[in-house]
Amino acid sequence: MQIAVLSGKGGTGKTLLSVNLSYLADNATYVDCDVEEPNGLLYYKLKEKQTEDVKIKIPVINHEECIGCEKCTNFCKFNALAYILDKVRVFKDLCHSCGGCKLVCPTGAISEVDKVVGYVHSGSMFDTKIYSGEMIVGVESGVPIIDNLLKKVEDSDRLVFVDSPPGNGCSVMESIKDADYCLLIAEPTIFGLHNLNMVYKLAKVFDKKIGLVINKYTDNNMINNYAKENNIKIVGTIPMDLELGKLNSEGEIVASNSKYKPIFNDILKTIKKELVL
Amino acid sequence: MKQLLILSGKGGTGKTTLASSFIELSKAKAFADCDVEAPNLHLVTKSENKKSTPYYGMAKAYINQDACKKCGLCKKNCRFDAIEFDGKYTINPFKCEGCSVCELVCPENAIEMQNHIDGETTIYRDNYIFSTAELNMGSGNSGKLVMEVKENLKKNLTNQELAIIDGSPGIGCPVIASLSGVDMVLVVTEPSVSGMSDMKRIIKTAEHFRVKIAVCINKYDTNHDQNQKIEKHVKDSNIELVGRIPYDKNINKLLNQGLLAISEESPTADSIKKIYLRTIDILNS
Amino acid sequence: MPLFKKIGGKIMIIALPTKTSGEKSFISEQFGRCNFFYIYDTETETGEVYINANKDGQGGVGVKSSEFILKKGANILIAPRVGEKSMRILKSTDLKIYKSTDKIVKENIASFLNGELKEL
Repeated sequence: MQIAVLSGKGGTGKTLLSVNLSYLADNATYVDCDVEEPNGLLYYKLKEKQTEDVKIKIPVINHEECIGCEKCTNFCKFNALAYILDKVRVFKDLCHSCGGCKLVCPTGAISEVDKVVGYVHSGSMFDTKIYSGEMIVGVESGVPIIDNLLKKVEDSDRLVFVDSPPGNGCSVMESIKDADYCLLIAEPTIFGLHNLNMVYKLAKVFDKKIGLVINKYTDNNMINNYAKENNIKIVGTIPMDLELGKLNSEGEIVASNSKYKPIFNDILKTIKKELVL
Repeated sequence: MKQLLILSGKGGTGKTTLASSFIELSKAKAFADCDVEAPNLHLVTKSENKKSTPYYGMAKAYINQDACKKCGLCKKNCRFDAIEFDGKYTINPFKCEGCSVCELVCPENAIEMQNHIDGETTIYRDNYIFSTAELNMGSGNSGKLVMEVKENLKKNLTNQELAIIDGSPGIGCPVIASLSGVDMVLVVTEPSVSGMSDMKRIIKTAEHFRVKIAVCINKYDTNHDQNQKIEKHVKDSNIELVGRIPYDKNINKLLNQGLLAISEESPTADSIKKIYLRTIDILNS
Repeated sequence: MPLFKKIGGKIMIIALPTKTSGEKSFISEQFGRCNFFYIYDTETETGEVYINANKDGQGGVGVKSSEFILKKGANILIAPRVGEKSMRILKSTDLKIYKSTDKIVKENIASFLNGELKEL
């Protein structure tokens, strides 16, 4: 069973929610898909972790075999190959690893080598299994890393919490495609509302079951009203609480504190009911 | 024209709150929102006079079912798992990256690359130029759209001195696109372990571009120890800390009423004004 | 009369990214995504205009612009700035880059030939 935790806007508490729920749930798995800015391991401070490279294939040119026909440079839709001073040159950062250049080359002058674009860290803590992706700084796309992460939990019979990246781009789609449940989290501000609307539409496209958590909840009802209008189930609220914020900012799992445990326990119970677990 | 880009790495640290205040303080006549996946600046500027244009991203593959002989070569060669089979072969547009390998390998010429609307760009004209865009759900190509937002801004300018650009979270393709050609980056962070980790990664990314970098800390008083650590890291990296913004629960109320963080006098408003002045000094130095 | 026409004994071919077509155009701020290239041959003292076919690419447009002007035989580029990748490519060749002024193409070429432009 897979739950994607989504927000549209950054900094609304995706990591807070997914870390604490996976901590409380029995035998759960936590997957940090925010590979550009992974923060899950700041909470799950793994004493022992395995790290695996995520690689993509990029072309290398054998200049002896190359006849300069420029089929590859013309084929590449990403402008990752150029014919400069009578030689084909590869611009690794631009390559999407589609393999097209190798296919069009008439002389077999193109072969492929691995390029490391990021890492998947894994380990366990308490009864939680943890996977965290990390994109190397300067790499443009985290999709191969997210793919790798999601493959790891594809057929898991555990309860899997996927900490998704912000926004509504391709990386987010990757992380919710196989989810059984979309857990949205939003703050009661005009920005929060706008982005909730965006990510709600996204979850609807995939026809997923949806629940909503309001974070930094105050006396402002704008999110509640939106939920009512759109018939979205509110599965819980996290109050605006400076101490909770401080613990969280220290990298503490706040649900390990008896004062805050009930908040997350209630949310977990409601979700389980929704999922008929 | 000097371009100031506001970034954070981590989302929700206050980029748009700061950008909107800066726009007001500088009376900037040119600004842009490069957070094309979740644009928010237009919520604060409330401009009326707008013109939107569809944005075409990469062409995506399309399979002509009449011509398809179901040989499966396309699926076999697609490295993005974008071709699905349930009795017939179809393209999943969310996964297709537009490489056209399938078109190349198809022996029946049944596959064609077709243009695809991936979002829209918008220009607001008031007594200023405001360029923004919104990416359709699940579309890739946000880097190119960011370039277009910046180009639209430049195209419509006459002689503005300062352009303020609200960036997007993360360190990937849209952020890299927003960085090219700017004169200075102001990083907004917050005192938390995540704020620290993300700030380090965004600074590393920005350093590739050899631009001026400065940092400010939002809600600096919500965690003293983390704040100290961030200040130390900034100092050790030889980056100027241009200011600290105190936490003020009234700010969200102001924003929700359609006002700005600096609309009412407060220590928070004062600190933003100070950060603004110092940032402009550095930008012009 | 131009002060010098040749560079290292070679004919100079000057490339400029431009906003509109022709010698009266202003220089484009972008090298990869300019609308046109103006390619000027100092020996024949004539220029040709080319449409930049790659300007709408998703990425790597600077790479393609570099490839294009090198194929046209350019050994001088006059531009306000070029991106990181283009810089890397162009610096690996004999081509030299000079910083343009905010004047039109014709005047930039004249300034260059008078030795008034700075190398980037």
